Amino acid sequence: MNTELKASKGSGAAARSVGFMKKLLIDHNYILSLLLLLIIGQFASEQFLSSASLINLLKSSVFIGIIALGMTLVIISGNIDLSVGSMLALTAATGVVVFNATTSVFLSLSASVGMGFILGLFNGIFIGLAKVAAFIVTLATLVGYRSITIQFGDGGPLIVDNDAYFNQLRTIGYGKLGPIPYLVICFIAISVFVWFVMTKTRFGRYVYAVGSNEKAARLTGINVKLMKVAIFTITGVLTGLAGFLYITRFGSVDVSTAGKMFELDVIAAVAIGGTSMAGGRGFIQGSVFGAVILYAIDAILSAFQVPAFVNDLIKGILILGAVLLQRALEKERTE
Amino acid sequence: MHLEMKNIYKSFDAVKAVQDVSLSVGDAEIHGLLGENGAGKSTLMNILGGILRQDSGQVLIDGEDHSHLTPVRASHLGIRFIHQELNLINDLRVYENLFLHNELVAGGLFLKKKEMIERSREILEKLELDIDPTVYVRDLDTSRKQLIEIARALLFECRLIIMDEPTTALTNEEIEKLFEIMRGLKADGISCIYISHKMPELFDVCDRYTVLRDGKFVATGNFADIDEQQATEMLVGRSLVHETVEKSNAVNENEIVMAVEELSCGDYFRNVSFSLRKGEIVAVTGLFGDGRGELSECLFGARDVTGGKIKLKGKEIQSASILQVMKSGVSMVPRNRKERSILKDLSIMDNLSMAYFTSKHKKLYISRREERQRFEENKRITNIKTDNPDNRITSLSGGNQQKVVFSRWFGLDSEVYILDNPTQGIDVGAKFEIYELITNLAEEGKSVIVFSSEYSEIERIADRCLVMYKGELNKEFSREEMNEVDVMYYATGSNKKVS
Repeated sequence: MNTELKASKGSGAAARSVGFMKKLLIDHNYILSLLLLLIIGQFASEQFLSSASLINLLKSSVFIGIIALGMTLVIISGNIDLSVGSMLALTAATGVVVFNATTSVFLSLSASVGMGFILGLFNGIFIGLAKVAAFIVTLATLVGYRSITIQFGDGGPLIVDNDAYFNQLRTIGYGKLGPIPYLVICFIAISVFVWFVMTKTRFGRYVYAVGSNEKAARLTGINVKLMKVAIFTITGVLTGLAGFLYITRFGSVDVSTAGKMFELDVIAAVAIGGTSMAGGRGFIQGSVFGAVILYAIDAILSAFQVPAFVNDLIKGILILGAVLLQRALEKERTE
Repeated sequence: MHLEMKNIYKSFDAVKAVQDVSLSVGDAEIHGLLGENGAGKSTLMNILGGILRQDSGQVLIDGEDHSHLTPVRASHLGIRFIHQELNLINDLRVYENLFLHNELVAGGLFLKKKEMIERSREILEKLELDIDPTVYVRDLDTSRKQLIEIARALLFECRLIIMDEPTTALTNEEIEKLFEIMRGLKADGISCIYISHKMPELFDVCDRYTVLRDGKFVATGNFADIDEQQATEMLVGRSLVHETVEKSNAVNENEIVMAVEELSCGDYFRNVSFSLRKGEIVAVTGLFGDGRGELSECLFGARDVTGGKIKLKGKEIQSASILQVMKSGVSMVPRNRKERSILKDLSIMDNLSMAYFTSKHKKLYISRREERQRFEENKRITNIKTDNPDNRITSLSGGNQQKVVFSRWFGLDSEVYILDNPTQGIDVGAKFEIYELITNLAEEGKSVIVFSSEYSEIERIADRCLVMYKGELNKEFSREEMNEVDVMYYATGSNKKVS
């Protein structure tokens, strides 16, 4: 009992600022990682730290980033979603078809998001209500959703009608407010919203609780089954949104390659952002940084003219490194 | 074996689990190790078994220094550890379990199945156990499994057996048989360290005792020189007479808050009926396998019942969900804090607020100020020892964690509190604080059901005691009628066997 009091008594102002630094280094090390990468990038290319190239970096991480927001919820709750890449393709394909039929941006957006809702809900029902392991369910839908997409596009690419695209969709994908692209603004707004939900609302607390200890969460009155359904549905919706933004940017969807292997980049972004793969811990802002870090690595490697096929190897090593680092820091933290 | 453990120290981070503890066990001696939960018994025994390494101190075996024990070395020395929780693998056969990690092999590769079965049969016969060594362990009932654990310890040459509460799942007959076996081993010169909370058993079978309290050595001596009262006082560390919580809660005899009628749940329990009055503390006790745990879950809507009704203030609870039961005025502190209560990654404050969030919180977002207020209020009531509620719950000691779990439910202002083993794994000091919290609840007019396996606890707080045996309500005692011997008598089902 004595030791306990002693341990908690040492929290003066000095201790608090040490605590803050420690938190920055241990919990939020993704900030430091990004800064470090940017400095390395500057060595690789003179223009690396220019505002244009930084904005570019943000812009390229939008799709991975938005999906990573949902994946963060999924992983904090102690689950995994492998189907996000296929979901991106199917929601984008739906968006294209509806746009071509109606030339309505709003209907196209609704179709992508609505399709994301349905696909995510389908995942969630099997995982939450039927209690099948998330890994298995989303592995099945990873291939299943892709197959549907390919049938949908008859194997070839789905292309947005040219004139209508240039008139309406392209404004979203390429437009800017001052120097900042709409896509980036969209990404930041959604991130702030999800961050708010995760840190300031009961729903956010429940996500952490379910991931930390499902049994205990249930015994405080949390409906764990429903939470799982909701978390996967939200991920579906966010992926649908990313799918819509995808077509505003690219104007077409290649049904067999669009979003392929995205799940890996998305999970990598979440892992690099400091979210525990065991569930219960993680940060939305971390995943945003994680997505940017992934593209910063890409940019640096191409600036150093590293062959593209080595890219993925280096990425794989970095993901492993990130997870090992998290674990080492976690030990540091508990001591 | 002559064992000597001298001035053993062991800490886990800031927690001093064992401080300057010495233990001496002679040849052919049955030594009773006494201590409440968290007194350091398990730590000490794990050091002896080579599972933990002491920070300092000596272990002497037959005069030789063996301070650096490992599980393998301990086993070579003939030290056998029978763990409290069953370490058997359900999906393997009895003989496979007996020989697990010690398989007999031919040519370093092939299992000598026949020989293993034969030797298993021999040892089971020696213990007078009517068990076929080729059946699967999952098909045996709990007490049988416990006896298999004991058989495993005896299979290979052994000189010292550590038994950590081996009788919790056994019937009286089986306990008698176990004692006979122990006396037989003693005659063969084998020593035994016997850990138990049950005084009659300790006095029956043990020669000498050592008492630990809060990780420190308290006393050692011969059982012949003390009586149960003295032993209990050493155990608890204060004179019991003065520490009995004053019971001043006025039970309102006429106002029934909760009525349970003919409640059944599959194989776990059948036709359980009782009622709970306003301001009353009812204890439910029994032994392992009595269906108590499942009953507590059913009362909280955490497990589906297969028959019967639960009425709260005359209205039947349609226990569709835990949340609904919570909202109708029932709170529960579950057993096994680590597994069922603690959200280990969340802060103390979030852990405390969680039940409030699910059942009372109405706002769109969480106000940190309100959360903080709720924490400070509860900290005053339950005396949680921490300065920073943003720290993780795991930074607290077991007792303080449990106080946070209690606080979790106080904000709900429920009518009924179900407490399942509420003092499990917390130190003596915190235990008394918890008892006070419970009696305070009753004084405020709340009704409490305490599920407990510790008689000392029941005696201190309960107005009534219900005893369960194999899924049935076997006996009810009023506060005046309660005594440990009678409660044990019905908990072990001794009344059933006579007929």
